[in-house]
Amino acid sequence: MSRKDYLAEKEKCKRFLQEFYTEDDNGKKVFKYGVQLVAVAHREQVPLFVELDDVAEEDPELVESVCENAKRYVGLFADAVHELLPEYKERDIVAKDSLDVYIEHRLMMEQRGRDPADTRDARNQYPPELMRRFELYFKAPSTSKPKVVRDIRAESIGHLVTVRGIVTRATEVKPMMAVATYTCDQCGAETYQPIQSTSFMPLIMCPSQECVTNKSGGRLYLQTRGSKFVKFQELRIQEHSDQVPVGNIPRSMTVYARGENTRLAQPGDHVAITGIFLPLLRSGYSQAVQGLLSETYLEAHSITLMNKTEDDELGNEELTDEELRSITEEGFYEKLAGSIAPEIYGHEDVKKALLLLLVGGVEQAPKGMKIRGNINICLMGDPGVAKSQLLSYIDRLAPRSQYTTGRGSSGVGLTAAVMRDPLTGEMTLEGGALVLADLGVCCIDEFDKMADADRTAIHEVMEQQTISIAKAGIMTSLNARCSILAAANPAYGRYNPRKSIEQNIQLPAALLSRFDLLWLIQDKPDADADLRLAQHITYVHQHSHQPPTHFTPIDMKLMRRYVALCKKRQPVVPESLADYITAAYVEMRKEARVSKDTTFTSARTLLSILRLSTALARLRMMDAVEKEDINEAMRLMEMSKDSLQADKSSTTRTQRPADVIFSLVRELATEGSTGRGGAGGVVRMAEAEQRCVSRGFTPAQFQEALEEYEELNVWQVNQARSRITFV
Amino acid sequence: MPTVLITLPSQATGWEAKVVEFFKDQLKEKEAQTAVPSLNDVPLHYLKPDGLVKFRCLVQDMFDPEFYMGVYETVDPSTGAKVRFKFPCGQSFSGSFGVDFSSKHTVTVERQTFYCVPIPGENPQARVVPSTSYVPSRQKRSYEDMDVQPQKQRDAQAEPHGNGDCKRQETEAPSGQTTTASHLDLNFPLPGEKGPSCLVKVYEDWDSFKLNDALEVYGVLSVSPALSALADEKDALLDPSGCMETAEEQRVHSPPASLVPRLHMLYAKRLPHNNPLLPCTTPQDNSMASVRAELHSFFTRVLLGDALAAEYLILQLVSTVYSRRDVLPLGKFTVNLSGCPAVASYAERLYQIIQQLVPSSFYLAMSLQNMNRMRLVPKKDYVANRLVSGALQLDKNTSLFLDETRLEQGQLDATGVRNVTALGNLISWQKVDYDFSYHQMEFPCNVNVLVVSEGRSLLPSDCHVRLQPQVAPVTMEEYVSSIQVHPHAASQLNKFRIYLSVARLLDYSISDNVTKSVEDDFVDMRKDDPQSVSAEDLHRLLVVARLLSLSLGRTSLSRDTWLQAKHMEAQRRSRLEQHRSVNGNEP
Repeated sequence: MSRKDYLAEKEKCKRFLQEFYTEDDNGKKVFKYGVQLVAVAHREQVPLFVELDDVAEEDPELVESVCENAKRYVGLFADAVHELLPEYKERDIVAKDSLDVYIEHRLMMEQRGRDPADTRDARNQYPPELMRRFELYFKAPSTSKPKVVRDIRAESIGHLVTVRGIVTRATEVKPMMAVATYTCDQCGAETYQPIQSTSFMPLIMCPSQECVTNKSGGRLYLQTRGSKFVKFQELRIQEHSDQVPVGNIPRSMTVYARGENTRLAQPGDHVAITGIFLPLLRSGYSQAVQGLLSETYLEAHSITLMNKTEDDELGNEELTDEELRSITEEGFYEKLAGSIAPEIYGHEDVKKALLLLLVGGVEQAPKGMKIRGNINICLMGDPGVAKSQLLSYIDRLAPRSQYTTGRGSSGVGLTAAVMRDPLTGEMTLEGGALVLADLGVCCIDEFDKMADADRTAIHEVMEQQTISIAKAGIMTSLNARCSILAAANPAYGRYNPRKSIEQNIQLPAALLSRFDLLWLIQDKPDADADLRLAQHITYVHQHSHQPPTHFTPIDMKLMRRYVALCKKRQPVVPESLADYITAAYVEMRKEARVSKDTTFTSARTLLSILRLSTALARLRMMDAVEKEDINEAMRLMEMSKDSLQADKSSTTRTQRPADVIFSLVRELATEGSTGRGGAGGVVRMAEAEQRCVSRGFTPAQFQEALEEYEELNVWQVNQARSRITFV
Repeated sequence: MPTVLITLPSQATGWEAKVVEFFKDQLKEKEAQTAVPSLNDVPLHYLKPDGLVKFRCLVQDMFDPEFYMGVYETVDPSTGAKVRFKFPCGQSFSGSFGVDFSSKHTVTVERQTFYCVPIPGENPQARVVPSTSYVPSRQKRSYEDMDVQPQKQRDAQAEPHGNGDCKRQETEAPSGQTTTASHLDLNFPLPGEKGPSCLVKVYEDWDSFKLNDALEVYGVLSVSPALSALADEKDALLDPSGCMETAEEQRVHSPPASLVPRLHMLYAKRLPHNNPLLPCTTPQDNSMASVRAELHSFFTRVLLGDALAAEYLILQLVSTVYSRRDVLPLGKFTVNLSGCPAVASYAERLYQIIQQLVPSSFYLAMSLQNMNRMRLVPKKDYVANRLVSGALQLDKNTSLFLDETRLEQGQLDATGVRNVTALGNLISWQKVDYDFSYHQMEFPCNVNVLVVSEGRSLLPSDCHVRLQPQVAPVTMEEYVSSIQVHPHAASQLNKFRIYLSVARLLDYSISDNVTKSVEDDFVDMRKDDPQSVSAEDLHRLLVVARLLSLSLGRTSLSRDTWLQAKHMEAQRRSRLEQHRSVNGNEP
């Protein structure tokens, strides 16, 4: 392999910096780096980022060499910039700090004392590192993917890599000597020593011409003022928990940040760091001890902070068309819902509700009033109906979530605590589970076991989505925009349908009404369902995996990414549907009044329907809510209410679906007659069907009822099957 | 130090691979394996340095990879001649010439370091290996005198080059080690553990090893004090330029080699079990049934004459998590034995007997003090950059014995609550959430848990068995103290041990027609009494049936076994009902 001609490479760098331009909207050329060079020349800008994407446009080969031999090319680019800078200097610059003044003096001295006969020793020349006041960094090309710490192997040494991780330790920022300047006590000449590693051997003897020829033995003394220091910070990053293969310990890596890259990250931050992976060379005794082992570090070029939800491997990459198609095919709603906790059998509607909780409704803030978009769900049920499993599955599926139990967490543990920092003695706020679950899901198991005083802390979170703190001189309001998924056991061991919810769960109505959906999961005997359940369980035990279903559950990662994609949509409720919703709401209120409901129907119910339907629209990746969404939302509401009044049929007279549908249609007919001034007993078929579907009946049931009552000659259906006329 | 081989560029490469291959082939032989001395049994100072040893261990922690020069050149300063070395182990070669760091032939390679400890909770009988090459007799030592020399002399030998440091080390190292030894935490999961821990250097295929894997590692032992010099010569090393490795980290990552030897791995195999008796004999089906009967009668005696509880104890001991489905571990079987008499430390006696039978076990007295003080969950210590172990970092199939009879009234503090939660998680999901301070990481485990309590345990359990002592309360104390720890001859104990390990490793299947009848049964049961039979009950029934079949040495479920399992469950339930109606207030 022939050696690369680095001089030619440097020319390439120079040419790139000079010639690279982009065209702005007016078609004018904007010299991206030229502008920056001017700023650098005037000491208005310190870091100069060379974006390798730009380099790739000009010279893809150069990018490759940069990525593979980054350290060398940093030098080449820096040299190029250094040589170009005088050309870009447009006016005299004002010295910004003492080093500027110092450099200026030296340059003047050099010019003044220039004597053609006096050829200075090369070592006494000013090293370029001393004169440079800019820092050159690379920005990795967008095509290169961020890596995991454990993927950085020996092959990557010397390469430009991007890693992601969490900062676990950061040292204080210290000055680090970049160029040491010495003066000789005999001849007064200055000597410079650029320093590359973490330690250096100070020069002692003066190497200048004068001292060497005279053998005067001039001693060198270090000049702190004339030396150049850079800010230096060491970081330690560790892999994310989700990047670690099962059964492995997260790996960590040392990062050196210099100059402008310091003080960017603190312990606990999620970062993506682009840098050069280098071995750490030791010198002297420690090298002898360490032998052939070498420690490695990453020399940071750019540090980007990211929040956890984004870097969960989903925000960055778009779903491919194929993946999108696999999700959005026929029956995707059922499929997605079925993919939640596939090992738990049945409970389709509960799973649908949980899916909507993950997606969340649209938050509205008209004129400063905030209406939450997050959906809160409370699961109740007899012991042993997989409530906790559902919770723990959601906890794992949600990109950001907290799991607590009511018994184990006090109000302080849920909201926030004021702590005294043991080191500084300052008061600090420490967020509790609800704060940590901001923009995520907070799963609270055994909600009913929580002490009353603690529970009140949740009231604010559930409606206002904030937590107000006023203690120990700290008054603040923290965001807690989280959905709450609670699970509660009935107070008397089993749910008693004859009692109201408050009595059953022993939770105040104020809290219960804040839940959009309350599900009662009951264990009801049903020979058919039992058989399927038995088959399911025995299959799992027999083959130790899920039985083949009509669909394969969607992979958790894919699901997460899809949900994240859905969350980007902000669907609105179109004007045309407003009437429909209000009518439905009025209807619900009326019904609640009539039937002595054990649940509540309040203005919150209306908001819940809106939330659920916007969540459904999001799930379909649409920008507008459709009538079906509202119907489905109302159906879910109805089902959740139904689950609470489960044993109604056994206590009162059994009502067949057909009877209920009949009464619904009749109601509609009377409504229509009063509304339209007694046009009398005609109902539009579509309207009737819609009403029934929104009450949780299937279209098939509706058709059945229609035929049954037609046979009884109670009503007639016209030829086109579009109108029902009561006889 | 492994042999340094000097290769010329012209020579064929790949000899390292061949060497490793050779050792692997040799080690496949049974005799070769037993001939290798084991670090578990032989004290470190009897082992030949740089010799081949084996180590039965658990991967406790994984450090960051180490980078070293696999191929490098040295320059002889007098002649300028370059010699190229290929050095697979990356250990310091302290020749008289300097290493040429800027040579273009230098190849950097990496290796992985695992911190390994002996399998936690290993019982004495599991450590007995039929034959080892180690005979600590005088004769043998004098015979090997050339190799096995007192520590000091060997130190001097390992550092043949006579530079100034060597002498200092020789005199200082031993004293330094004795002082560090007292406060050097070897990071054993269980309190009171002893034994060598080891830094295992892995050169290939390290991704296949996981944390908490039980391994038998064959490798080259290295105890060169030059390695520990890193820790001893702190002052010389800590250059003021602010290396971030703290002193603590140094101490953890390069402890004195005499305490924590380095082992360069040649070959490792994962241990499916750590019962040394197992491979010798494979009992037949019928013999298994007879051993089972014996064991059953033995347990019945131990469990105060309760035959049903004895059945469940056998099932508990042969249970293992055989598969996981998402979050659901299949096959776990935690038994809560309630109603234990609180006399004469009955629970401890029970544990001593179980300890005799299983390869590894741990007794955790759930006293308030223990729960509030002990570290159960491993935690990452970022200062020292290591995983501080906890008592729940256990090998698979370790028997965890929770003694709740020791619990008294009082206050659980924050640690206590966390510990109880961790135990609950372990029982319900067979996983432990390791604390990485910024986040938690789930590590699946496979631990057999037996909870012994007076009333119903506060921890969840798969199966709650109420003990019904057949012994009159008056004579209870006498009876309990009469339960001998060694009631049987060693051969019988061995038989039990083999039986339990074999039953656990058997394969199992359910045929389709049995499945059908099970399903029908379930539907019928639900019809009769829907309130009492839930999905969970079916899960449990299937597990009981599985374990019952396996404990009888049958590899598939038969109709009879299914009925037997149902019968057992019914008995157990009726007992609980009875107790409830007597006591009234128990939930």
